[in-house]
Amino acid sequence: MNSLAESRNLIEVDGLVKSYGPVKALQGISFSVGEGEVLGFLGPNGAGKSTTLRILAGFMPGDSGRVSVNGFDVGEDSLAVRNSIGYLPEGVPIYPDMRVGEYLGFRARLKGISRADRKGRIGAALEETQTVDVAGRMIGTLSRGYRQRIGLADALLGEPPVLILDEPTVGLDPEQVRQFRSLLQEVGRSRTVILSTHILSEVELVCSSVAIISGGQLVAGDTVENLKGSLADRVCVVAEVSGPHEAVSAAFEALPGVSRVETDRPEGAGDDPGAGYCRYRVFFNDAGQGAEAIFDAVSSGGWRLRQLAAEELSLEDVFLDLVGGEE
Amino acid sequence: MSRTRLSAATNTWAIFQREFMALFYSPIAYVVLFLFMISNGWIFYYYCVNYARDPQQITLVIRSLFSFAFFWVLPLSPLLAMRLFSEEKRTGTIEVLMTAPVKASEVVCGKFLATQLFYMLIWSSLLLFVLMLEVLGKPAGPDWGPIKSMYFGLFFLGCMTNSLGLLASTFSRNQLVAAVLSLSGNLLFFSLLFLGWIYRETPELQRLFHYLSFQAHFSSEYIGGVVELRYIVFYLGFTSLFLFLSINMVNGRKWR
Repeated sequence: MNSLAESRNLIEVDGLVKSYGPVKALQGISFSVGEGEVLGFLGPNGAGKSTTLRILAGFMPGDSGRVSVNGFDVGEDSLAVRNSIGYLPEGVPIYPDMRVGEYLGFRARLKGISRADRKGRIGAALEETQTVDVAGRMIGTLSRGYRQRIGLADALLGEPPVLILDEPTVGLDPEQVRQFRSLLQEVGRSRTVILSTHILSEVELVCSSVAIISGGQLVAGDTVENLKGSLADRVCVVAEVSGPHEAVSAAFEALPGVSRVETDRPEGAGDDPGAGYCRYRVFFNDAGQGAEAIFDAVSSGGWRLRQLAAEELSLEDVFLDLVGGEE
Repeated sequence: MSRTRLSAATNTWAIFQREFMALFYSPIAYVVLFLFMISNGWIFYYYCVNYARDPQQITLVIRSLFSFAFFWVLPLSPLLAMRLFSEEKRTGTIEVLMTAPVKASEVVCGKFLATQLFYMLIWSSLLLFVLMLEVLGKPAGPDWGPIKSMYFGLFFLGCMTNSLGLLASTFSRNQLVAAVLSLSGNLLFFSLLFLGWIYRETPELQRLFHYLSFQAHFSSEYIGGVVELRYIVFYLGFTSLFLFLSINMVNGRKWR
């Protein structure tokens, strides 16, 4: 999903396979992230997001396939890779028995930041993540949101060209999520970021491209615009119909070009004509005569129609389509 | 980037400091230190009251104090070292630690050195009792020769048991499992003396078992006031082996 052909790929993953015993976590994933890109790594729980990010961060090796970060091979040049990344693992595991400033000082030393620069860098990281006021607090006493931000401050410390963030907004309150996103947009301007999430709106807001994985396989990878663009010729028509529920949905499903029908059925509605309205969302593969077709179907069935409207598809719909998340 | 060149010493030093501090934060260290001082204090008191009326008996008091304290060699290292890696694995902090640009060898060495220092600090609490005898026992005082060699021996023995404890803690995310594993290891070394006694009919076997068991070294060192080079080689050999295996365990991390 390297949209800018001339820019360098900072992350390249080629045919990555990883199994935990009999469980195949990753079955040959390939993608690349260009310089300055913010890639959203999307997938249901257990899809292999964290596994991929851990391999990228050099925490554990893959079984086969090639992974390189900032031009260094993860297997052969692990130290150089770890020098180029800032990594925020899922759940932000950081020492609870240290004070924030102490912890960041420890991390700065591990990251090889010189004594002269340490204070300034730590200050800048605290500033950037708005955690200056908790610098003297014990990490174990901090709220989840603050810990998350301390983890991010740690990731930013070495000013790495690549940031790897695993579920960075889990556990934050809505205001913190908003702040976090603007922070991410800020740092994403000068860095390559790969972040995993299962919140789609997050991807639409902060990411320039998306990779969707499911069951250890990459099911889609493109820029956010392209992914949404691929939906441009697909429509969803919402119709509120009063009629026998079974017959109505069967009629809609039988229409040409319909991929699926979602029903929102209030208690008792749709049992017999006149007993209330059900709301149907009918997905068409092409933006043809969707609304007309539904109108025709309703009138030929002799049912009553209350509302008929076309709806714009969101990433959510693509996501559900791709990972088959209905069940 | 104004990053300084990565240096193994800086990383090891950073890990060492963090780990040493963590020992002071952990309740286990205080519990161990408390029990250690209580038990030894009681033994010291007992021998002083019953045997030390005569200044010439000071050597007996010291010898008794150290012989009883010697049993702490068995549980001390397992208790101090059990959390080194288990805790990191259980809480997941190992993931943050090992994705920083540090080598497994630096992490292992830093943690080992911190434990070793704390271990020697605990043992040095016995010196308070010896100092007391030095000050109050005048004109007779303790003979510092055997005490020095005792500490010399304890240092190398500690290297071995601490590195074994560290290795055990890389095996499990459960501290208790790690402690039991390394305690079993210590007991194995300890019991070899008895095996030597059982096989006393076969001098070769007896010599071998005697050589491998650690308290045999200990009593001869203490009583003789000399430390033999071969014992040091023996302890350091095992220390290197255990540390090497630990580095391999951390490098080939398959957990999670």
